[in-house]
Amino acid sequence: MKQRLLIRSSLRHLGSHPWLTALSLLGIALGVAVVVSIDLANASAMRAFERSTDTVAGRATHQLVGGPSGLPESVYRDLRLQPGAPVSAPVVEGHVRARSGDQRILTVLGVDPFAEAPFRSFVPRGGGRVDMGAFLTEPGAALMTGRTARALNVKAGDPLQVAMEGVVKPLRVVALLQSGDENRAQAMEGLVLTDISTAQEVLGQVGRLSRIDLKLPDGEAGEARLASLRPLLPEGVEVIRPHTRGNAVEQMTRAFRTNLTALSLLALVVGTFLIYNTMTFSVVQRREQLGRLRAVGITRRELFALVLGEAAVLGMVGTVAGLLLGVVLGRGLMELVTRTLNDLYLVVSVRSLSLESFTLVKGVLLGLGATLAAAMLPAWEAARSAPAVTLRRSMLEDVSRNRAPRLALLGLVILALGVGLLSLPTPELLPAYAGLFSVLLGASLLVPWLTAKLAGLAAGPLGRPFGLLGRMAARGVTSNLSRTAVALAALMVAVATTVGVGLMVTSFRGTVADWLESSLEADVYVSPPALVTRRGGATFAPGLAEQVRATPGVASSSTLRTVQVRVDGVPTDVRAVDFGATPVRPYRFKEGDPARVWKELEAPDAVLVSEPLAFHRRLGVGGTVELATDQGPRRFRVVGVYFDYGSDTGTVLMLRSTYLLHFQDARVSGVALYAEPGQDVDALVARVRERAGTGQALGIQSNRALRQLSLEVFDRTFTITHVLRLLAVGVAFIGVLSALMALQLERARELAVLRATGLTPRQLWGLVSLQTGLLGLLAGLFSLPLGVALAYVLVHVINQRSFGWTLQLLVSGDVLTQAMVLALAAAALAGLYPSWKMSRANPALALREE
Amino acid sequence: MRGRGLVIGVTVVLVGLAAGAAYVTRDTSPPLENAPTMKVSEALGGASGAEGYTRALEPREFHFPEDHGPHPGFHTEWWYWTGNLTTADGHEFGYQFTLFRSALAPGEAERASAWGTRHIYMGHLALSDITGGRFHATERFSREAMDLAGARNGPFRVWLEDWSAEAIGDGVLPLRLTARSGNVSLSLELEAGKPPVLQGDRGLSQKGPQKGNASYYYSLTRMPTRGQVTVDGRAYEVTGRSWMDREWGTSALGQELVGWDWFALQLSDGGELMYYQLRRHDGTADAFSAGTLVPSEGAPVHLSRQDIRLEVADTWTSPHSGVAYPARWKLSVPSRGLTLDITPALADQELPVSVRYWEGAVRFSGTHAGQPVQGRGYVELTGYGDTPVRGR
Repeated sequence: MKQRLLIRSSLRHLGSHPWLTALSLLGIALGVAVVVSIDLANASAMRAFERSTDTVAGRATHQLVGGPSGLPESVYRDLRLQPGAPVSAPVVEGHVRARSGDQRILTVLGVDPFAEAPFRSFVPRGGGRVDMGAFLTEPGAALMTGRTARALNVKAGDPLQVAMEGVVKPLRVVALLQSGDENRAQAMEGLVLTDISTAQEVLGQVGRLSRIDLKLPDGEAGEARLASLRPLLPEGVEVIRPHTRGNAVEQMTRAFRTNLTALSLLALVVGTFLIYNTMTFSVVQRREQLGRLRAVGITRRELFALVLGEAAVLGMVGTVAGLLLGVVLGRGLMELVTRTLNDLYLVVSVRSLSLESFTLVKGVLLGLGATLAAAMLPAWEAARSAPAVTLRRSMLEDVSRNRAPRLALLGLVILALGVGLLSLPTPELLPAYAGLFSVLLGASLLVPWLTAKLAGLAAGPLGRPFGLLGRMAARGVTSNLSRTAVALAALMVAVATTVGVGLMVTSFRGTVADWLESSLEADVYVSPPALVTRRGGATFAPGLAEQVRATPGVASSSTLRTVQVRVDGVPTDVRAVDFGATPVRPYRFKEGDPARVWKELEAPDAVLVSEPLAFHRRLGVGGTVELATDQGPRRFRVVGVYFDYGSDTGTVLMLRSTYLLHFQDARVSGVALYAEPGQDVDALVARVRERAGTGQALGIQSNRALRQLSLEVFDRTFTITHVLRLLAVGVAFIGVLSALMALQLERARELAVLRATGLTPRQLWGLVSLQTGLLGLLAGLFSLPLGVALAYVLVHVINQRSFGWTLQLLVSGDVLTQAMVLALAAAALAGLYPSWKMSRANPALALREE
Repeated sequence: MRGRGLVIGVTVVLVGLAAGAAYVTRDTSPPLENAPTMKVSEALGGASGAEGYTRALEPREFHFPEDHGPHPGFHTEWWYWTGNLTTADGHEFGYQFTLFRSALAPGEAERASAWGTRHIYMGHLALSDITGGRFHATERFSREAMDLAGARNGPFRVWLEDWSAEAIGDGVLPLRLTARSGNVSLSLELEAGKPPVLQGDRGLSQKGPQKGNASYYYSLTRMPTRGQVTVDGRAYEVTGRSWMDREWGTSALGQELVGWDWFALQLSDGGELMYYQLRRHDGTADAFSAGTLVPSEGAPVHLSRQDIRLEVADTWTSPHSGVAYPARWKLSVPSRGLTLDITPALADQELPVSVRYWEGAVRFSGTHAGQPVQGRGYVELTGYGDTPVRGR
């Protein structure tokens, strides 16, 4: 009986404010959805990568790997011809771009079918047969799953054109592979299986192997076997475990993924404020009812449970909606995450969302947890209700106002704590995020006190143009402090988040633009198309680079070779530069004297490292790094640290002469041309294009075009950040809307009194608008310093610790203006419905309602 | 009443979201197709046509030692060693070591990659530990590229990874067989013994009525052998006799044939008998079955289907494959007064390789021209399993 009474009172309350209930549900749902979708997108990308790595690594226990251009194929022969050779298989692997269907990037896996069986079973036994003769003897013969073939728009027997570093190579689909189950089908998406001979020819790796897979027994027997193998291996060949590759990728993309997760959590924080706001509202509004319930014998415990129960119902519904929305959103974000990963780090093809139950459980816990946590304080307040018939609202507000200075003090303490956490000299991200959230919390606690002070100050100025209404609006803010402060804090945090993220991206972009300006000094840049935009690494067809460099009108030229080398065991981009006759050295140094560095770099064991690498590996001038060269591991001295915003994992730079000493690789990945004085750059571009011919599709860009392109790539990689920011703005907007709307609706009786005392609907509308507008203005004003502080933390602490970059904080007026507009617009919108409703309502009815 | 609107609204939104979530996570994959499989042994399946290959059309002149080496123009070629060995204290072994070359396409590959080839090699190594009652067999494949497998003359060598047969001196014979797999290894020296015996019509072994459905075939029928056999880490010094079969050609078994039974017998009176009986689907012997009797002195005698009588006296069913193989024979050559009772030295000598067959050491006794005779040899039984053989 008692239970039913309580439940009915709850339902009636929730049902009587459908729009508010709906808005708070939307707030929870959006918060959960953002977190879940980012998590799903990240997890899907990582899972797809793992699956494809597992597929190509197969059941190998160890792998033999060489320098950047793989290892000589003779290593395999020598190993295989040893008496009692270990179980081994040669692998040639690389990426090409399809020129039909969806033009996707394909992984070419070249294997020796005779050595494959112990490692990869691409095809279960039974069924038809692949024409092994054609597979082995026909140049370009390829196998793929039916699904991949459909995506490429080819059938068994069809020719298939692919581009390897811009050079078209013909393949032929000799048969379609059986993929087995759905998991394997996904893992084999985009995989093209060829004989090792075809792979070598198509990928331009004749004479080389990407690696040799080994299968050694577990434990000591395997270790002994390994020990006996080592002396047989030539210098430069190393034994690694297959999972190190997955680990390296995991490591490389961790900062990127962590930051996305943190941004998504910000959305949830804003959502939590929203729930707090809703629950507080429902408690405050029902204070009389709650008092009556106490009077009829409902205990404190029951009231506490009542409010928490309502929150749980809201949380549950909102969370379920959030999970579903998160899945939908995740599908879209997955594409963005994949594109960014492909632009920045690696080739990964993510075709489907992997719904990890862990992610979903996390979403439920976060959604419900945040709701219940936010409802805790209002529930406690409800439980404190005295069994009196009425607890005067004014009394409540008195309490609230008296509490404001104490809260502000607590806020200051938490702020100080946050600053302390942020300034801890550690490279860890966790304290930085803890500090960041402390700053947000601390600032929120300052809001009631600041609001009371500022609203008091605003009463005067508002009174002048708007008279009594203006003063009433300002006082309304203070007199309803328990309500307005929460709404303001939510609004402030939400807007500040968008300001912080917005400023961070602008600062980042500005720094990169500056850097591009100073590092792109040549007139024309030529390079073959790379699969990972920002990493490069594709090479010119033999002789083509020389031909390009000798174009008439070129005064001097420099070349670049980008390769991946294991630096201290971690695959890292190494750049070998040949400046040719150019005196230009387009590098700026963080450490090292620019006047001496270039001289020092001529030593055969000297390298430069980029700022992120120096940061991640704790390196500086005088430190050393070990590179896995073709002659085995070699130590190199770091003679300088240069600024580079091209790679967040960092790069090592050496002179080409040094590179050639240690690596058997004379290829070139990029050429920079300096025009003769008076030479028209566009004409030079055209001439280079003509000389290069059509054999290899080269990217030939003027300085200006390349800068443009680089910034486009930059913007593309920040699309996901923008989307997250927009989502946070969305949550913020809804938060403000519901908070302010609730505030005004709650004042229904007060407004009805005003109507009854002769206020016209127009005046009423003016009063409500003024008040919400004032709140919007205050929130906007509060959010600006907090947003800038947030940007400062993001740029100088979070970004620095994640990527190791030094960025300049740029406070962009646009971002600040946007924030103010956002706050005011949401506030204006929030005032519309309540004033429309109040102006139409019969004052007498409104008065009677309670 | 408004509460109802809220509930309806929330329900509609949830249903809509659920539909959206189901849509984005729907399984877009078509049903898994029954696609073909990739089995390396199928590459050996036989010539897709004889076009472009050299064919065994008529008798040719054999030149030794050159003909011990490869004949790459033909589709298929093999080097086949079998033998019976004994240690000083009587521990008996049988061995089979075979290297097959098979062309995937006629002509030579012109490829930039050193892995590009048109020839692949298959190797079988089997050791029958007769005294120990165990049988070990392995199969391996490789391509004729990167020195992983191949055959050459001067000095003679044919190899598949670390399995090899190579001349000890400058010529071909004596030669050394070296092979190792898992717990079994073989290191044997083989001397020529008798001169090569040309099988069939001066070395042209006709396998069917069509011209060209034949191979060139010669044998070294009694090769004194000594060396070492290792089983499970234990080495045995052995001596004995081996038999080498060399055959190359471009033809497949006729459609009417399912397999063959091949006998290579070394008689105690210094003679040898080779006989292969081609089996038709109904189990009868094909007219092109043939053999050769090598007397201890004098010229070898060609034997045709009519000269030989072969009866199966017993069968053995493999516990591994369930296939029933003949397991005892009465073989006689009435015109030569030869009658033999042949029994496997070990019942289970079935090779569990990609094309399953039985090949093993045998013992026999009987009479030859009125004199008692006995001996050792090897028998190969193919086409008894479910997979018809289209090769040898």
